Amino acid sequence: MPSQTDKRKKTGLFALLGVIGPGIIAASAGNDSGGISTYSAAGARYGYTMLWMMLAMTPSFAIVQEMAGRMGAVTGKGFAALIRERFGVRPTFVAMMLLLTSNAATTVAEFAGIAAAMELFGVSKYVSVPIAAISVWLLVIRGSYRNVEKTLLALSSVFVTYVVAAFLARPDWGVVARSFVVPRIVPTQAFVALAIGLTGTTIAPWMQFLVQSNIVDKGTSIKEWRLARWDVIVGAITANVIACFIIITTATVLHPAGIEVTSAGEAARALAPLAGPYAELLFAIGLLSASVLAAAVLPLTASYAICEAFGFEAGLDRSWAEAPAFNGIYTFVMFVGAAFILLPGLNLISIMLISQVVNGVLLPFILIFMMVIINDRRIMGRYANNRVDNTLAWATIVVVISLTVALLAMTLLGIG
Amino acid sequence: MFYLTRMLGKPVVDATGETIGTIHDVAITTREVFPRVTSLAFLGPDKTPFMLSWRKYVARIDDDQVTLNAPRSELRFSYLQPDEILLARDLLNKQIVDTQGMKVVRVNDLKLSESRNQLRLLGAEVGIRGILRGLHPGLERAANRIAKLFGHELPENLIAWNYMDLLDRDLSQVKLSVTHKRLHELHPADVADVLEQLGPSQRAKVFEHLDNAQAAEAISELEDELQADVIDDLGDQRASDILEEMDPDDAADIIGDLPYDKAETLLRLMGVREARAIRSLLGYREKTAGGIMTPEVTTVTEEMTVGEVIEHLRAGAASNESIYYIYVTDDDGTLTGVISLRDLIVSPADTPVSEIAERELFTVGPDDDQEAVAEMMSKYDLLALPVVDETGHILGMVTVDDALEVMEEESAEDLELATGRRSGLDVTGIWQWVSRNGWLAVWGALFLTAAAIARAYPHLAEPIFLGLLVAAVIMRLAEDVAAHTLSRVIESQTGEARTPVARRLINDGLAGAVLGGAIGVTAFAVLEVWGGTPPLVAALFRASSLPYQAWVGIALGVAALVVTLSGTLLGVAAEARARDGKRSPQMAVTAVLIVIGVVAFFAVLTPVVVDSRVFA
Repeated sequence: MPSQTDKRKKTGLFALLGVIGPGIIAASAGNDSGGISTYSAAGARYGYTMLWMMLAMTPSFAIVQEMAGRMGAVTGKGFAALIRERFGVRPTFVAMMLLLTSNAATTVAEFAGIAAAMELFGVSKYVSVPIAAISVWLLVIRGSYRNVEKTLLALSSVFVTYVVAAFLARPDWGVVARSFVVPRIVPTQAFVALAIGLTGTTIAPWMQFLVQSNIVDKGTSIKEWRLARWDVIVGAITANVIACFIIITTATVLHPAGIEVTSAGEAARALAPLAGPYAELLFAIGLLSASVLAAAVLPLTASYAICEAFGFEAGLDRSWAEAPAFNGIYTFVMFVGAAFILLPGLNLISIMLISQVVNGVLLPFILIFMMVIINDRRIMGRYANNRVDNTLAWATIVVVISLTVALLAMTLLGIG
Repeated sequence: MFYLTRMLGKPVVDATGETIGTIHDVAITTREVFPRVTSLAFLGPDKTPFMLSWRKYVARIDDDQVTLNAPRSELRFSYLQPDEILLARDLLNKQIVDTQGMKVVRVNDLKLSESRNQLRLLGAEVGIRGILRGLHPGLERAANRIAKLFGHELPENLIAWNYMDLLDRDLSQVKLSVTHKRLHELHPADVADVLEQLGPSQRAKVFEHLDNAQAAEAISELEDELQADVIDDLGDQRASDILEEMDPDDAADIIGDLPYDKAETLLRLMGVREARAIRSLLGYREKTAGGIMTPEVTTVTEEMTVGEVIEHLRAGAASNESIYYIYVTDDDGTLTGVISLRDLIVSPADTPVSEIAERELFTVGPDDDQEAVAEMMSKYDLLALPVVDETGHILGMVTVDDALEVMEEESAEDLELATGRRSGLDVTGIWQWVSRNGWLAVWGALFLTAAAIARAYPHLAEPIFLGLLVAAVIMRLAEDVAAHTLSRVIESQTGEARTPVARRLINDGLAGAVLGGAIGVTAFAVLEVWGGTPPLVAALFRASSLPYQAWVGIALGVAALVVTLSGTLLGVAAEARARDGKRSPQMAVTAVLIVIGVVAFFAVLTPVVVDSRVFA
């Protein structure tokens, strides 16, 4: 029997804590293996050059997350359900295929993260990945992943140590500050691709589905949203601040040494100023926990969204006979993701980077669905977007599409 | 057969053969089991919407177009009637409740059939076929052909209009056919099944259609975790009305799970009598007789006869939770005796109650521990036990089924204590994790700080890490002793005879000595195996006759003994507090023990170290 006294004390700070959560959790879960590898690669390869993009992206990220949450609070429905009800079967199918691709690619990255972390401990991927896939799958189907979720989240928060590591690495803060405000571009395919990946990992499509469904499940009403939106916004900003520190650390430690991140071991070296010989251990623990957590969450997000859109029965407490589509989709995504990593001769870090580029390329299309819905006053009433929201969101869409077009053109024309 | 997804967008052609627009939607009346299509909505040039009466103007419908019977200029447009439903706007792609299968489903397509120029809705297609058809009709045909190869037919999953309840559109203003089953007309247990499949905002919509008695029953049928959530989401007045309808102990359970402010608001809105019944239950602490008793007690007075008592039972007291014991009270409500149902049945009707009442009563106070109550009932084989206040007024009674539940609960709790797991903490998982592993986090933070210091001053590294190892041992020990102490406090409240303090100190002292010895020897052994003496440490212990390993071992052993004995004393204090109804948080006890342990450790070492410096 839950104790009555504990619940009754929920006033003041606890009322705030009651609504805080989904945003911060979704945003920290966003710093997964794909995120860590992308930020590390950005810092190692281009130094502080890409920091200005992080600054430019932070308002977009916060606003996109806020939009997703607001849609949930106003309609009480998930993003996938809104897409279906606003657009009908065919566009929904397209949107769900985009989400499935994005999630499957990211799941592949998570298993790459697991493999890379375990290789730091000297375990072959042919051992670690099958074991990880089966354990994560069992955790999910037995519903017990919620029990380990917090532990994993806590362990994966070792990436907060990048903040300490950045200070210990003694960067030239003047240069760092300047890099935040002075936009610089390197006209190469690799730079443009990495810029797309940076966007894709920061504003990942699946995170919008996750944040909205969290708000819906909590039953947050539009009145409570006034308070809850700060959770989402603060979560987004926090996640980006940590991301910036990862870039600063790797840029200070790895970039001058000419180390390009091509393996997890090299990425781990960025933590050497903090942890010395234990840098690999620290990095491996963080990478492993973040990857395992995301490897459970991503296939589930895809599965819930697709079932919601097409009206299939869904829920972790449903059997295979009751909910074949739901169980089938996340099992499929999980095992295909794991199986892909078992292909011989893959570079795990490249896999993580490519998956984030895929996310980045798909992001604008998901955002377009969001923009149409959130500006439809029949759905959102007076909570439709204001001009600032629209400007920032459309700017994000246009910029990312332009980057994709630029990358395509450069590849075809052989520039850079 | 027509499918709505195929019809939408097809041209609308007037009698002269001119295309005047494309099909946008069709409206149905709501009163029939297979509703007729009554209106056609189409988009004219520039996407202007128009609406026509189907009966008046539609001459023919086929797979390619809708043909009207009048030229464009003679059309009279109409408006949507309140009892009309637009299929594409209100049903297609929307979630509905299948009130036959008790499922929440999404409408993928709508199937219509034509007879004598009249189009009727057969039902909503909610299966995979509708999705495939919506994507492309060829896809549906192909899938069907493949299914046939395996000897199956792709099933068409249709829900007839009279088994649909719309979630997004309120049908309460609309006249429906008699056979139309809406969600709120189902059995409350079925309603509860559907409610569990819906999100919070959709649940709220369903509740708008349930009357208070139905809502109360449906909520009682919901899973425990959902009950408080559902009440919390409802409007205050409504929630309070519904709780009023429920049995007081059910309502008290739910109210107890609500935030304080909300609970207070709801109780204020209730009728005085109902609120008092619930409050009387809420006022008692959990795990006491008051917390598990029912206020519904059958009482009679001394002057009544057996016949009158039976009449009293028939008149309404029989609805009380238990009538096997009937309690006798005097004029101001003080408990004076008890009669059993058996006494009533075997006695002649004119016997006065005062003659057959049993005066030897077992009673408990409202603050008595529930475990003690349960043990008492099992010892004296009682079916119920009256709960009385200090002046002897009867407050309620604990029945045997509640006592059984207590025993189950307590054994689960003992198991939790034994395994060191806590449950029922109602804080979000992260905080729970933090509070459970708080000391680990403190230690981790210390470690990080130490690492930073050691980096800056490498010669300090070894003493610092040595210190951390010692700190880890003391923290762990303090945690264990605290847990042990508090589990004893819990035991002490069951009313068993208490061991005198001196006796306990001797017992625990012996245990502490053995433990301290073991820890000391282990520490000594570990440091020996580690080998060498760090220069700084060697300098500190320079003048001592014993090696530093031995001193650390001794200091840790002494600290363990002191922590154990302090635990015993703190336990005595905590028991005294517990008798006053105060709780002693484990976190605080652990913190105190850690401080004591660290002080004891240094109390042993400091003289040795200081001496060595003085004489150096």
